[in-house]
Parts: sequence; C-alpha cells; structure tokens
Amino acid sequence: MKKLIIGDHIVKSFGEGDEQRIVLNEVSVEINEGEFVAVMGPSGSGKSTLMFALSGMDRVDEGKVVFDSGELSSASENELSDIRRTKMGFVFQQPTMLKNLNILDNIILPSMRDNRKNVEKILEKARALMKRVGIAELERRDITQVSGGQLQRAGICRSLMNSPKIIFGDEPTGALNSKSAEMIMDIFSEINADGTAVMLVTHDAKVAARTKRIMFMRDGKIVSELNLPKFEGTDLDGRVERVMVNMREIGI
Amino acid sequence: MYYRIIRNDILKSKVISLTTMIFVAASAMLVSLAAILVVNLSGALDTLMTQAKTPHFMQMHSGEIDTARLTAFAEQNSNIDEFQVVEFLNIDGARIIMGDNSLANSVQDNGLSVQSEKFDYLLDLDGNVINVSDGEIYVPISYMKDNTAKIGDTAVISGKEFTVEGFLRDSTMNSSLSASKRFLVSDNDYAEIKNLGNIEYLIEFRLKDMSALGAFETAYTSAGLEMNGPTVTYSLFRLMNAISDGMMIGVILLVSLLVVAIAFMCIRFTLLAKIEDDYREIGVMKAIGLRISDIKKIYLAKYAAIAATGSILGFALSFVFKGVLLKNIRLYMGGSENSSFAVAVGVIGILLVFFAITAYVNAILKRFRKISAAEAIRFGTSQDKNRSDKRFTLSGNRLFNANIFLGIKDVLSRKRLYATMLAVLVFSTFIMIVPQNLYNTISSKSFISYMGIGNYDLRIQLPGNIDNISGKVAEIVKTVKNDQAISKVAVLTTKTFKAKMEDGSEENIKIELGDHSIFPIKYSKGRAPAADDEIALSTIYADEMSKKVGDVITLEIEGLEKDLTVSGIYSDITNGGKTAKAIITDNSAGIMWSIVSAELSDKSLVDAKVTEYADHFDYAKISDIDEFVSQTFGSTISSVEIASNVAVAVALVITILVTLLFMKMLVAKDRYSIAVMKAFGFTNSDIKAQYVSRTVFVLIVGIVLGTFLANTLGEMLAGLVISSFGASTFNFAVNPLSAYLFSPLMMICVVLIATMIGTSGAGQIKVSENIKE
Repeated sequence: MKKLIIGDHIVKSFGEGDEQRIVLNEVSVEINEGEFVAVMGPSGSGKSTLMFALSGMDRVDEGKVVFDSGELSSASENELSDIRRTKMGFVFQQPTMLKNLNILDNIILPSMRDNRKNVEKILEKARALMKRVGIAELERRDITQVSGGQLQRAGICRSLMNSPKIIFGDEPTGALNSKSAEMIMDIFSEINADGTAVMLVTHDAKVAARTKRIMFMRDGKIVSELNLPKFEGTDLDGRVERVMVNMREIGI
Repeated sequence: MYYRIIRNDILKSKVISLTTMIFVAASAMLVSLAAILVVNLSGALDTLMTQAKTPHFMQMHSGEIDTARLTAFAEQNSNIDEFQVVEFLNIDGARIIMGDNSLANSVQDNGLSVQSEKFDYLLDLDGNVINVSDGEIYVPISYMKDNTAKIGDTAVISGKEFTVEGFLRDSTMNSSLSASKRFLVSDNDYAEIKNLGNIEYLIEFRLKDMSALGAFETAYTSAGLEMNGPTVTYSLFRLMNAISDGMMIGVILLVSLLVVAIAFMCIRFTLLAKIEDDYREIGVMKAIGLRISDIKKIYLAKYAAIAATGSILGFALSFVFKGVLLKNIRLYMGGSENSSFAVAVGVIGILLVFFAITAYVNAILKRFRKISAAEAIRFGTSQDKNRSDKRFTLSGNRLFNANIFLGIKDVLSRKRLYATMLAVLVFSTFIMIVPQNLYNTISSKSFISYMGIGNYDLRIQLPGNIDNISGKVAEIVKTVKNDQAISKVAVLTTKTFKAKMEDGSEENIKIELGDHSIFPIKYSKGRAPAADDEIALSTIYADEMSKKVGDVITLEIEGLEKDLTVSGIYSDITNGGKTAKAIITDNSAGIMWSIVSAELSDKSLVDAKVTEYADHFDYAKISDIDEFVSQTFGSTISSVEIASNVAVAVALVITILVTLLFMKMLVAKDRYSIAVMKAFGFTNSDIKAQYVSRTVFVLIVGIVLGTFLANTLGEMLAGLVISSFGASTFNFAVNPLSAYLFSPLMMICVVLIATMIGTSGAGQIKVSENIKE
C-alpha cells in the first residue's frame, strides 16, 4: 500500500521560555492511501495539533511531514494552499461556512477558485454530492436556515468537491445528536469505501470504532495503536468495547 | 479600572485609535482656529474702524462739485455729526513708479490724498494717525504685501520724487474689493502736483445716529446733490474689509465640518465592529446584572479619552497655525484687543467637538439595549440576517472570478458597514473635484462670459475724468480701425443715469452705451438691446429692481423721462455686479469710463499690440483680456488654485487614512472567514484579491456618486457663491482629463496602496488559531 502521509519525529510547541508547552513530542506517524484512521485522546493530548501539522495548516518546529511524496515542511505558503485545496478535504466540529453565501455556494467555493470555466461540471458534481448525503433540496438556503447535521453534511460535500486524497475530520460529530452523528459516520464510511483516505480526530469511542486503525495519544505522544477489521455494519458494540478496553489499558 | 481597560484597548488597536484621534485633533484644530479667527477679525475690524473714524456714508463723485451747497445740506440735516470732502487725485498707474516697479498694469485706481482733517484717517501700522512730511509718501498696505514697494524706496509720481516712509491702513479702501487705493502725501506736495491728475471727490459724512442711515441716504439723494460715482456706507466698508478673511474662515469651518463628519464615521465604524466582537461579553455582562449604563461607560470611557486627547492636541495645534492665518488680518487691520477672549472662544469650540463626539458615541451605544443576553451567550454573534441579493450567487455567476465575486458579495451583504466607507470616498471625490472644477471654470477664457463682456482680445479703458474724453476715444478708434492687425472694434461708454424706482425714489444706475452686437455676450434671459428704447440689466440689478424681461424702467435722459423695456438679463461680476447695457444716445451725462475693445486677426500679436498702444495712448489703460481677467480676479483665482490643490491633498490623505483604518478593522473582524478560506486552500493573494475587489467596488461607486454630486450639488454650491457676485446661470467648465481621469486614478492608486498595507495582516492569520472549536 502506498504511503500518503509520513510524519517523522514531529515536534510542535506553543509559547516561549518558561511558558513553553510541547504539544507534539517527536511524533512519528504514517497513513496509507485509502486508509480509514482515527486519533483519540483526552483534551490537550495533541490530537488536533497533529492533524493541523499533517495537513500543513501549522508548520512543525522539528521533524518533517511528507504528503503524497512532497515535503510539506519546506513548501511555500502558496504551495501549501494549493495542496490543501486540491488534495485534501476538511470537516470541522463547527460548520465553517461563510455567512453570506448560501449552501450551494459554500460547497462549490474551493472549486470555483481554479475552474471557473467548468461551472456546469462543478455544479453537477455538487448537486450529485448533495443528493448523495441527502440535502439536495437545501442548495438555495442560507446557512442559518438549516440544522447542524445538514450543515455538517454540506461541509462534507465541500470537502469532497476536488476529489481529495484524504479527508481530515476534526471532531466532525462533536456538535451533533447521536442520530445525525451516525448518519455522518455512514457517509465517511462510504467515502472511504470509494478509496479516499479518512483521518478523524475524536474522543468519541463510537466514532473511532467505525475506523480500521486507531491511534491513542497522551501528552503529545502516540502511546498505543489498535487495528480493527473493516466495519461491515454489524457488531458496532463489540468494536466500541475493544476501543474502551484499550483506553482503560493505557489509562486515558 | 477604566484606566486599565482604556489603556489595554487602545494598545490593542493602535492604528485605529491613532487614526480616530488624528481626525478628532484635525477637527478640533479647525474649529478652534475658526473661532479664534472670527473673534480676532471682528475685534481688529472694530479697532481699525474706530481708530480711523470710518465715514458712515461716502459718496464718490467725479466732475464739478458745489461745496457750498453740500455744506448747506450738512448744516441743515440734524443727524449729521461731521462732514468733509476729501480730494482723491487719480493718477494713471503708469505714472506711479516705486523702486523698480511701475503700477502700469494695476487695475486699481491709484491716487494721492492728504490726511483727512476730521475723520477717515489714514493710519500707520501701529494704528496712529499719520503725520506726513514734505517729500515723504505712505503707500497702501496691499503694495507691501505683494512686494511692490518697501520702506526707503524712491517713488516717482508723475515725475516728482518721494521717499516711501511707510505703509498705511485705509479703513475705506484697504480691501482688494475696493477699486481705489489712496497714497498719502503732505499738503505742500499735493498742491504741487494737483494739476497732474484728475480729481475725484469723496464726500463723507459721520452721523449722530447710525440707525437712521437709510433716511439719510434718501435725504441725500432727494436733495439732488453730487453723486457721479459709487455710494458706500459704513456696513459695506465693514463687509469689504471682512470679506477676504471671512471667506477663509468660512472655508475653514466647512472643512472642519467635513472632518468632524469623517471622525464620526470612523468612530461609528470602529464602535460597531467592536460591539460585534464583544457581543458575547456584552451579553454576559447583561446576564450577570450589570446595568446598560455601566456597560456603556466602559466603551464611552475609551472614546472620551481619545476625544479629549485629540481635542487638546487640536487646540495646541491651532496655536501653532493661528499665527500664519492671523498674519493677513494683523497686516490689514492691526491687532485685536480681545485676543484672550479669542482663546476662550477657541476653548468653547473644542469643547463643542468633544461633547459632540461623546454624545455621538453615547447614541451609538444605545443599541446595547437591543442585545439579548440569551442570544448573545448562546450564539456569540448578532443573529441579524445578512441581507443580500439572493440572486447574486456564486453558482449563478459567470462574470467574475471567485475572488472578485466574494469581494463584491461581501460588500452587498454588509451594505451598512461599507456605507460608512462609501460616504468617506464620496466626500473625498467631491472635495477633490469641486474646487478643481471651480478653479478650471474661473481660470478659463469662457469665464469672461460671467463678466458681462464679449469675447475680444484687447481692452483699452479710459477713465471718465480725463480732459476731452470723447476726442480721445475718437482718436483711439481711428488708430485702431486703421490697424491691419485688428479685425473688429467696438466702443462702449459707461454713464450714470437716474432711474425711477417702483417706490418713487431715484437711484443712479450705470449704463454701458454703444453697439452691443459687435462683441455679443451671453444673456441668461432675453437678448441684447436692439433699439433705443430697450435696456439689458445685470442679474443683480434685475433682482434688486425686481425686473424681468419685458418690464419697463423709467430713466431720466437729458432731463426727460423715458421708458425703456428690459430686453435681456446677463451675468456680470464686475463693478459689484451692478451694470446695464443700452444703445440710447445721450450727450448730457458725464462719462464714467469708456472702453474700446478690439479683436485681432492674429492672436499671437496681442502682447505686441498692448505694448504698442500703451506707448501711443499713455492716458488709457491697455490690457489684453487674459490679463484683465487675471488682474480683476487674479488673487481670487490663485487662492482658488491653492485651495483646489490643498483639497486634492486633503482628499487623498483622508482616503488613505480611512481605507487603511477600514481594512485593518475588516481583517480583524473577518479573522474567522479568512481562516476558513485559508483552510480550504485559498492563498494569501486570493484573500488580498478579495479585499481589493471590495475596496475597488466601493471606490468605483464612490467615485461615480462623488463625481455626480460634484457636478450637480457642487456646481449648485459653487454657483451660489458666484451668484452672490452677480453671475446668473453658472456651469462648471470641466477639464475632463484631470477631473475624470487623473483624479479617479489618484484615488484608485492610494486606495490600492492603503488596501495592500491594511490587509497585510491577513497573511499572519493562522488557521489553527482561529478555527479551533
């Protein structure tokens, strides 16, 4: 399996002098193409910071990050922007949408920057994605006129517009009720089944249990990993139990 | 506690606080300056007119004078306190040479006088009545200002040598609006050269009761006394002395209003943005039971601090600049006794600015009442919907690229926010273009159409008090007509006639006689007089006599009453705007002046012809028309030019500061959406492009609106000013290159630069810090 992301001894700290706090302490991590992984850990363990580092949104202090055979640490800001736009997708806990655009416009925004000439194709793709996640009828709505779950599905559509190699999800179900959360996780599973890698940061065992590999973090280090078989839609409780056991073992 | 809050707040937003303070300081400075100038001007004016004992009523007269009859009138009229007749020996400018400078090109009527006996004294620069010795001459102050003469110069007047001993203030003729200028010589010297010029008489009265001036004027007129010349009253002297500095004060006040308005807009913008930022905190404060007035105080304190610092700074600055602006007043009118009072009024001025700002901030903070604590805590932002055109969508957009679209969309969604910036840009465009157009208009050749004269090249003017004027005019006409270089000649002679007013009183009106079809002028209504029973009136005369085209005026011509029909009304800003034109023949009335006007077939010969005729006819004043315009309105034109340059600079500075301020604010406010876009792969240059599209979009609307307003409202305002001098319909003569190309280009350049600098902070916004849950 080809490696999509290699994080090699990443160090990232915030603050200076006495107040310096090391958030990522020589973390090494690899994610393969098409993989479905989760990062778990308590608040402040560094899981979100790891995601920002691997996606090139934050620069690392030491170590290096390689994405799709290119080194992110030495890339320029513009190159990083280009990579994020064309090869990565993001879904955050809060729906990060521009207030003055409607749902459809928010979804097509990243694609419109480069491909204005192919508007029809972009719209076609956006509508197909919206239909697939069940929000086809909302395209003209303002972002204040739909529910959190619907907004999150729109966010996923946006992340898929440029057919990325990986989707990063930072607590993507954190603000949703359990029914909406389940629906979102179904969508992530489908996306992954189509061959797109997915990396989720979460502290919800139910979410992590859907993935195939779970990395557990504590105090800026990956302290344990758990590999699971592919989720086929059954035995979620058993998988969740395994995750919980693992968490207890390492004391988080 | 307030001190700490204010300090932290100001330190956090240095640029924004500083810009706001600069505007407050500038407005405080201007208001304070205007206040100080007004008090000093009126004080200096009072001092001058009291020391000089300015006449309450003055009739200028050329021609025969019956002093005995005047004295008899003065003795009979119980209201007359003092009476005198002062002689004014009119000398052609070419015959006055001071140092190396001759007054040949002066449009003023220069002449000699001796010191008055009873009142209307000529004063030295210390305000004392001048005692002049033989061989000495005192020169009007305006010739000191324009460096025509300096103390110690040798002055040669009609061949007689004098030493310039000093300069004089003349409370009746100081102003450049007054057509005559008096030089002071000793009685002996005056007697010696009395026969070298033409004598005009200044018949002057001081009254016991100034309020009865109207009755006195009527009495004077109905007594049929000497009145071949203008009549000037005390209030008009006052007005003429005050007008040039008064206009400067008016401009300063206008500009200060503008700056105050801009300061208000900046404050409104920053405050609204701050309230939105602090939405949740305000909600929390409300929720824990703080009163609205308590919360308001926190915000008010900061602006009160900025306003107070700005006002004090402005007041201090006004002291730095007041010397420069007071120089002219001090020079022409001397010191003022109430300068400490002026400082007090200045303080009142800045207090007004201070209170206006705090009241305004207080009014904006009223919206705290509308903030729902629950909503603020739950959502953290105002849930007011962005109203934007729903049809203007990215998916439907085929015209712009994504960045330009986002820029325009943002402006359309937050119209109220951008309205502030738009207003400033409209203002800037307006104050950039109006003075420019005004300058262009009054300096263009077509401006002579407002002066009641036709389009000719050469103007030969003969004053009415020279001997055998008709013969001399005939001589000139003969020479000019035989000149191959001249293609057209017209002679116009101005005389005074008595006109019967509606109320039965009589008034002298100046009528220009001759063939008005040779060099036709523009009539705002009607046409030129074509028959000898027709008359055309200047706008001011027509208004004063409330006459329209077709109305009838009764004139006394050669002792008989004659009815003339008003054939047309035209603009004239010369001679106080009071002129008339007719083609009646009349041999009785004294000639006030004659003008021979000529058109050259080859315009390049104008200078040569002026010199040639000036040598030939040394009794006449010869000027080419451009020179005539620039001499009549030269100082006005050059001050308008300075004003228009200053306006351009001010507009650009305002534009830069405000754009910079707005961009900084916007970037701070839009941190979150900038982070979102960066997360999804928009580069820093994409973000900049969006901000540039926002400002350029607002700027284009601003320039269009501003230019439109400049050409409608601005033209109207300029027209109002010009019409007070006697023009009727006023139209800007626009230089399209500078008004519609260079000015907008300059605006665009500075806005782009300011946007680039203002949005440089957007690059530093970290996605991870602003998008965290």
